[in-house]
Formats: sequence, C-alpha cells, structure tokens
Amino acid sequence: MASITDCVVEGLKYPFNDIKKLLGFGVLFALISAISTFIGFVSIDIFRATMHMVEMTNTTASQLSFSQLPLGDIYLVTVLGVVGFIITLFIMGYQYDIVKFSIDKKEDFPGFRDVKNIFIKGIKYLLVSLAYNIIPILFLVGGVTLVHDSSILLIIMAISMLLFIIAYFLLIMALNNMIAYDSLKKAFDFNEIMDNISNLGWGKYIGIILFTIIVMMIISVAVGFILSLITVGFAETINNQALIVSVVIAIIEGLFLDSYMSVFFNRVCGSIYRESIK
Amino acid sequence: MILDIYKDALEYSAKDWKTLVILGVICLFSFLLLPAFLITGYNYRVINNAVHGIINGRDPLPDFNDLIAMFVDGVKVVIVQVLYLIVPMIIFLVFAIIAGQLTGVASSALMLIGCLITLIVGVAACLMYQMGICHMAYNEGAFSKAFALSEIKEVIDEIGWFECIATYIGLIIIIIVIASVVTALIGIIFTAFGISGAVLGADPSGIFVLGAFINSVITMFIVGPYLSIFAARSMGLLYTMQI
Repeated sequence: MASITDCVVEGLKYPFNDIKKLLGFGVLFALISAISTFIGFVSIDIFRATMHMVEMTNTTASQLSFSQLPLGDIYLVTVLGVVGFIITLFIMGYQYDIVKFSIDKKEDFPGFRDVKNIFIKGIKYLLVSLAYNIIPILFLVGGVTLVHDSSILLIIMAISMLLFIIAYFLLIMALNNMIAYDSLKKAFDFNEIMDNISNLGWGKYIGIILFTIIVMMIISVAVGFILSLITVGFAETINNQALIVSVVIAIIEGLFLDSYMSVFFNRVCGSIYRESIK
Repeated sequence: MILDIYKDALEYSAKDWKTLVILGVICLFSFLLLPAFLITGYNYRVINNAVHGIINGRDPLPDFNDLIAMFVDGVKVVIVQVLYLIVPMIIFLVFAIIAGQLTGVASSALMLIGCLITLIVGVAACLMYQMGICHMAYNEGAFSKAFALSEIKEVIDEIGWFECIATYIGLIIIIIVIASVVTALIGIIFTAFGISGAVLGADPSGIFVLGAFINSVITMFIVGPYLSIFAARSMGLLYTMQI
C-alpha cells in the first residue's frame, strides 16, 4: 500500500506530464481571476453611484427606484457573473475528468474536445457540492437570521464551521464515489462512502487531506511571495497603473498557480479513492 | 560509542564538497520559502541513509534527484517538528496565563516553576522529535510512526537516556566549536592582512569588509551545510545504536 507521501508526490509530479493542457486549463482560471478583479472594480463604481444617489435624494438604498441605479454597470456585472459561472462549471467538469483519470491511473491529461459532456459533469459536480454543503449553510443562515444574542451566535458560527468541515471531508469521498461509478446516485450512498473511508482508516484519510492542504498552502505562500516581488517591480516601473498591474498578476496566478493546484488536489483525491478500494 | 558516531559523521559529511556547495546555493535561495523545505528534505534523506546503514559503513551521500519527493519529505519533517514543539509552548502559555492572573510572590514562583517545566519538556520534546524523525525514516516514512510515542520511548530506553542527551549536548558543542574556530581562523588571517596592509600604508577597512564577506560565504556554502549533514547523520546513527 502506497503511503501518504507517495500519493502527494505523485500528485505534485502529475501536472508536469502535459504542460500544454495544464496551461489550457490555466487559461480558464486566468479568465476567472480577470473577471472577478473586474467585477470587484465595477462594483465599487456601482456602490459609489448608489451612495451618491442616496445622498442626493435623502432616502435609503432600498427605497431607490430601479431606474435611479447605474443600470449599465449592473448589466455588465450580471453578464460577467454569468460568464464567470459558466467558466466555473467548465472548470468543475474538467476537475471531474481529472479525478476520473486519477482513479483509472492514466498518466495523460483529459482532453477539452467534448464540451457538452464536460458541462454536464460540471453540473453534477456542482450539484453534489451544493447538496453536501446545504445543511451547514441552512444552519448558518437560519442561526444568523433567528438568533440575535451575540454569545449564542458565536456558538452557532462555531458549530456551522464544524459542520462545514465535516461536510467537506465527506464531500471528497462522495465526489470520488460518484466519479468512479459515473452516477449521481452513488454520491449519496452513505454506506459505501463510510465503508471506503473506514477501509482506508479515518486517521489516514484526514491526515492525507490535511497534508495535501498544508503542501498547497506552502506552495501558494511561496509563489505568492514571488508574485508580490514581481508586483513591486512592476509598480516601480509603471506609475499609476495599479489596476493593470493587479490584473496582470491575477492572470499570471490563474494561469500557472491555480491550475496547478487544482490538478494536484484532484489528482490526490483520485488516488485516495484508489487506495481506499484496495 | 558516542565518539564513534561523531567520527563517522564528521567523515561522512566531508565526502563530497560539491554537495555542500549545492546545499549552500539552495540555502542562499531559501528566502523564497520552497528551497528551505528542500534543505530539511535533504537532511531527512541523510537520516534515512543513516538509519538504514551501519556505523562506519560506506554509505554514499544522498543524491539531489527527485526534488519534488525531497520537498514533500521536507514538509513532513517540518510538520513533525512543529507538532512536537507546540507541546512545550502550550505548557508555557498556560503557566504564563495563570501567572498573569495572580499577583506578588505567587505569580513569580509559579512562573519560575512553569519555566523549569517548560525547559524539561522542551528538552524531552527536542529529543523525542529527533528520534521521531529517525523512527519515521526507519518505518518507510509512515507519518504515524513519528508520533508513536511509546515505541519512540522504547527506542530511547534501549539506547539509554543518558547517552542520548550526552550525544545531543556533544553535538551542540561540536557545532559551536567548529563554527567559531572557522570564524576565528578567517578573522586572524584577515587581521594579519589588515595590519600588514596598514603598516604598508593602505586603508585596512576594505580588507576587513572583504574578510567579513568571505567569512559569511564560507559559513553559508561550506560550514553550514557540513554541520547540518553532520547533525543529521549523528542523530540517524544514534538511532541505530539500539541494543
């Protein structure tokens, strides 16, 4: 049985097998980060315009009529949001494929050709993630809206954090189970999920995920440090272009770092499943 | 026995100066964070060689291949280290918080006791951590073995607590001595240069700056890596000293 280290080492090496496809995947992440930077930028404009309107008319923001809002910007944000959502679906579908390839122990990368199927897989991935997170979300939202005592609210926050963590750990195995059998039902087959995890051992299962996350954090901190050095370098040479610099950095980060991390993490998830069914 | 360990480790680390320079270059770039883990990973490999070898054997120095595996090993070692050293820190914090609530003599007395306990636990944690790493390396890098406290305690019992602590203290002394002797030698050489230069009428300050620079270069590229391999090899050999 391969140890934790072997899985993680294998996952770290795997993305180098096909740099071209990794970069292709990175383009999606670069688009997402560019879009989110842009949405943040436009939202500030919308906020500023709304605040200005509120000051002019002496009302509150909810009393403004629709035509008084900066419509052009709002449409722009909506369109960007929808585009971002579609790209996210595509990314999720591709992650599905990566886990599938990892479970089948294939060394190459999945292709991008079959766009329709990738979207369907992305929707499945999203649905399962939502379904697993729905209990903690309901708990958190319900708690925040119903309870007004601050000390109890703190406890509710803590419990919902715990629920989120438990849901996350279950979710990984559930996604693996779904992908291995290629059927949505298998994601909610709790008996089999629990069997798989206890087959591997809970300690090892949690340890391997925590270790992977720690490795990811170390790499992102290191790369973030290098990127921030580059940012400082850019900012020194280009004056008054903070937006462009931050977009460029976000694109670089999406292109190389995010795609690598995503492939790495999903590869390790797949190998966890492979280990657990042995 | 202890002297044999030191002799073997001193010879072992001096086997290949190229390795030392490569380690020095990695050390130079360790402000980028990732290379720092490579260094701990390399030391882990040295320990791995040592625990699987025998004393005065002909083990070669580990290679610099498979950097990713080396990095992951380094991360593992750092995690083990952090988890072990957290224990004395928590004890210290608990004592500090309780002492902060009290006043007068009781507070300082409690703080003194807390410091003593932290010191003892800290020394034990350092020892257990080194042996834990060795134990992990011995068991094919299984993470759980680094925290199998009862097994590690048995190992230390077999080696003998006194021998372990003596080896550890001796290690620290040797490292300090070597580092300071090298620094002192370079200092003496450049002082001689500087004085003779000053006698001949040249400005000695440039020579002193050069001396300091060369000192730091030699420390970083030769002495530092040498001592780190030396320490790792000694701990690994100590682990093999079980009866």
